[in-house]
Amino acid sequence: MSALDFTPATQLELSRFVAENAQDGRRTLCPVGGRTALQYGYSAPAPGTYVSLGQLNKLVDYPARDMTITVEAGIRIDALQQALAVERQRLPIDIPQRERATLGGALATNTSGPRRFGHGTFRDYVIGISAVDAEGRLFKAGGRVVKNVAGYDICKLLVGSRGTLAIVTQVTLKLRPLPETSAQLWMTIDSFPAIEQRLERLLTSQARPAAIEVLNPAAAALIVRSARCELPVDAPVLCIGVEGSAREVDWQLETLTQELSTTGLQECRRVREHEADRIWEALTEFQTCADDPLTFEANLRPSQCMEFARRATQLGVAVQVHAGNGLVVGQLLEEAATIDKTTAVLNELRGLARVHGGNLVVLHCDAQWKSHLPMCGDPEPSWGLMKQLKQKLDPHGLLNPGRFVDGAMSL
Amino acid sequence: MTTALAESSPVHVRAQQLLARLRSIVGDESVLAEQAELLVYECDGYTVEKKCPDVVVFPTSTEQVQAIVQICNEFDVPFVPRGAGTSLAGGCLPIGGGVMIALTRMKRILEVNLRDRYAIVEPGLVNVHLTQHLKGSGYHYAPDPSSQGACTIGGNFATNSGGPHTLKYGVTVNHVLGAEVVLPDGSVIQLGGTVEDVPGFDLTGLFVGSEGTLGICTKVIVRLTRDPAAFRTMLGVFETVSDATRAISEIIGAGIVPAALEMMDQGIVSALEQAFQFGFPLDAGAVLLIEFDGLEVAVDEEAQRITALCSQSGAREVRQANTPKERQLLWKCRKQAFGAIGRLSPSYCTQDGVVPRTKLPEILEFITDCGQRHGLRIVNVFHAGDGNIHPILLFDERDAEQVQRVLLASDEILAKCIELGGSVTGEHGIGVEKISFMDKLFSPEDLAVMKSIRDCFNPTGHCSPGKMLPTSAGCGNEHLPKTKPGRRAAL
Ligand SMILES: Cc1cc2nc3c(=O)[nH]c(=O)nc-3n(C[C@H](O)[C@H](O)[C@H](O)COP(=O)(O)OP(=O)(O)OC[C@H]3O[C@@H](n4cnc5c(N)ncnc54)[C@H](O)[C@@H]3O)c2cc1C
Repeated sequence: MSALDFTPATQLELSRFVAENAQDGRRTLCPVGGRTALQYGYSAPAPGTYVSLGQLNKLVDYPARDMTITVEAGIRIDALQQALAVERQRLPIDIPQRERATLGGALATNTSGPRRFGHGTFRDYVIGISAVDAEGRLFKAGGRVVKNVAGYDICKLLVGSRGTLAIVTQVTLKLRPLPETSAQLWMTIDSFPAIEQRLERLLTSQARPAAIEVLNPAAAALIVRSARCELPVDAPVLCIGVEGSAREVDWQLETLTQELSTTGLQECRRVREHEADRIWEALTEFQTCADDPLTFEANLRPSQCMEFARRATQLGVAVQVHAGNGLVVGQLLEEAATIDKTTAVLNELRGLARVHGGNLVVLHCDAQWKSHLPMCGDPEPSWGLMKQLKQKLDPHGLLNPGRFVDGAMSL
Repeated sequence: MTTALAESSPVHVRAQQLLARLRSIVGDESVLAEQAELLVYECDGYTVEKKCPDVVVFPTSTEQVQAIVQICNEFDVPFVPRGAGTSLAGGCLPIGGGVMIALTRMKRILEVNLRDRYAIVEPGLVNVHLTQHLKGSGYHYAPDPSSQGACTIGGNFATNSGGPHTLKYGVTVNHVLGAEVVLPDGSVIQLGGTVEDVPGFDLTGLFVGSEGTLGICTKVIVRLTRDPAAFRTMLGVFETVSDATRAISEIIGAGIVPAALEMMDQGIVSALEQAFQFGFPLDAGAVLLIEFDGLEVAVDEEAQRITALCSQSGAREVRQANTPKERQLLWKCRKQAFGAIGRLSPSYCTQDGVVPRTKLPEILEFITDCGQRHGLRIVNVFHAGDGNIHPILLFDERDAEQVQRVLLASDEILAKCIELGGSVTGEHGIGVEKISFMDKLFSPEDLAVMKSIRDCFNPTGHCSPGKMLPTSAGCGNEHLPKTKPGRRAAL
């Protein structure tokens, strides 16, 4: 059965449509933005109705001096960032495929990238939200001011909820000034343990990096190629990003070079200007750039990451580590292309992540594999409670059913 | 017990049974049930409404909290968590009486892990004790409410507290990775963890700021923040409040995000001077306390830019703290501002509202007018960079008519905040104080969704009843005069 499409022009139209659907028909609804992350979660979107937010893309209010903006959820990320750049502001979250991805989609998948170390994630920037629930009620939470504790913070609940609790229609964001410039320090280092020593040194660095990335040679090669840069990739890479005024950036590069030039360092390059921009972009795109069969994300304690990366490298995985936050994005390369091999690799790596309460989720894989893999990772202790909440807010299971924790429970 | 019922009445017997059960869990010395002992717990920092709980218990472990909650459910009595009781919204008011669960004896720091930048603490830990514990490590816990010397991390978790450094570093929720919570049905649940991005909904984010209505927090996992490399602290002295607010707008507009940007008006400055002789100019209309932090190479340049922007906006002078001691003095005066108010008036009511920062001049003018109209003295000390106002209304609690004027003036100020696109609370919470504003800020649909959420976790409503959400939406109870509650005795 093929899916229908509905593209509302206004939030009210959407609200009416969903209300009618809840009354009769009760088709399942799959909110879509830029269609960049639809494959997330357990099952492929169930046949039902695709609700496209493409036309809900207006800028509602941008009081630049208050450093907030209110926009409809279907706005494309590049359009949003361009509007902000005019006022020398930004939403400091790295989002891949920004010419396609919408704010609503990025928010629903809680997308982030390398600079989450310095700036945080969606939960730190969404201060107000409007959404349509499964019954068609258009509701809001939060507001338009940067500080507000009135009522439950439903903004937090909807960030990362993958369209399973409500369809987000409008968002108010807190903003930050655009930095004057940025740069990276790109170091190839003998081994992962030698990088771990540097990560520990960075904990008390005089600099204040915006990103601390570690790449194994396979990932580094992919990133350098997509950024069209000439940088060494023949050993594990520690890539540290800094932002600020030209003076701050220079000073930090200098300081970091001194602090980190200890044993095990092979090469150290400074990446600047346009090259630095392209590296940021490649680091951001890594999570979605794969032609390969599977991309996963593991969350662990930062101190475990290098051991994890070492093992993943042995298993033939290309890994990017947001080392300050303990997040690892891995791409299984072509060789691992059977389901048995893949399962074995994922099980081992998930086991490593589980040791200190981490987990491993699949971001992207062959649709036919989904039913064989724990897409959302091992069950977390609070999933039962989450399932209750899903049931309370969407009793008929109309919004992206089976895609997230509700799907996980039935495995 | 407070009930004056005959000893043989079934209610009385049941109350005695409840007490015995609670004592068997926490021990005799950790249960208060005598009227004289309970009096301390009749209110928190919001003193307009008062009501004694029937019992106060002091658990020392998650298991004890769990057992207490289970007993409350068995006896069908409400319960309310309490930290240090510094809430300014009546969050700790035991509506309907019942059992107050005081968490102040659960105050251990369970783990500090600097490599992974987190700490696990019990909810009764006083905020500043964590900061003191971390001193010298290069890390700190960023949320710093002005009450940090007394308030607890559990209370901060429940109210999503902010503080002067919220402007740059964010509020409590931005620094909480996870928590352990005893749910209203008595089960224990782990939310989030010591790692980021735990798969599933962000229940941690939902529970922070839920004002004790979704459960009792028994452990908090907090993110630790790197200390600033360098900072500069400045005091801008302005002739008028509107000059000072213009300076704020200019600073933010120039793309500078200071670590803190606090305003004190003439009323508060003169009270501080009387109390502590800090050497503030008594004739200034307003002073701005500005702190900028960043890299050593950058702070001086930024400090100069800020000074220039203040001067352009009409600052009479901009002083800079040149030594740690001078900086400490400036912050001491800011954090002791509330203490100094005792000199101005026997009682005071601290309001908490938010407006977009660019609307600060309008709201401050409104507050001045409002004070004049109601014949009340109002002074201001607040988180100006966030647009988070704290007008302090001075009054005498013994004068019932004055109390009514204070309530009326507060309501007008908050209504104005809504009109200007803001909110009725930036950090103190809705509690009982602001419940009647919820349906002005939110539509029936908004409130219905919030109610579904509460019902999901707290279906019997026994956990912190009568807080945050109006019980019957749109009943228009804001027109009823506020009275001292005592709405229904539980026992
Ligand atoms: C002088 C002064 C200055 C202040 N300055 C600030 C400021 O700068 N910023 C700010 O945000 N606030 C400020 N406040 C308000 C207050 O200090 C905060 O709301 C604080 O977080 C309350 O902490 P507490 O431990 O006193 O909590 P309490 O007052 O005991 O409780 C507050 C609420 O939290 C609930 N609660 C307490 N502990 C738990 C728990 N373990 N689990 C679940 N729920 C719980 C209670 O039921 C209640 O609803 C100030 C108050 C005063 C008196």
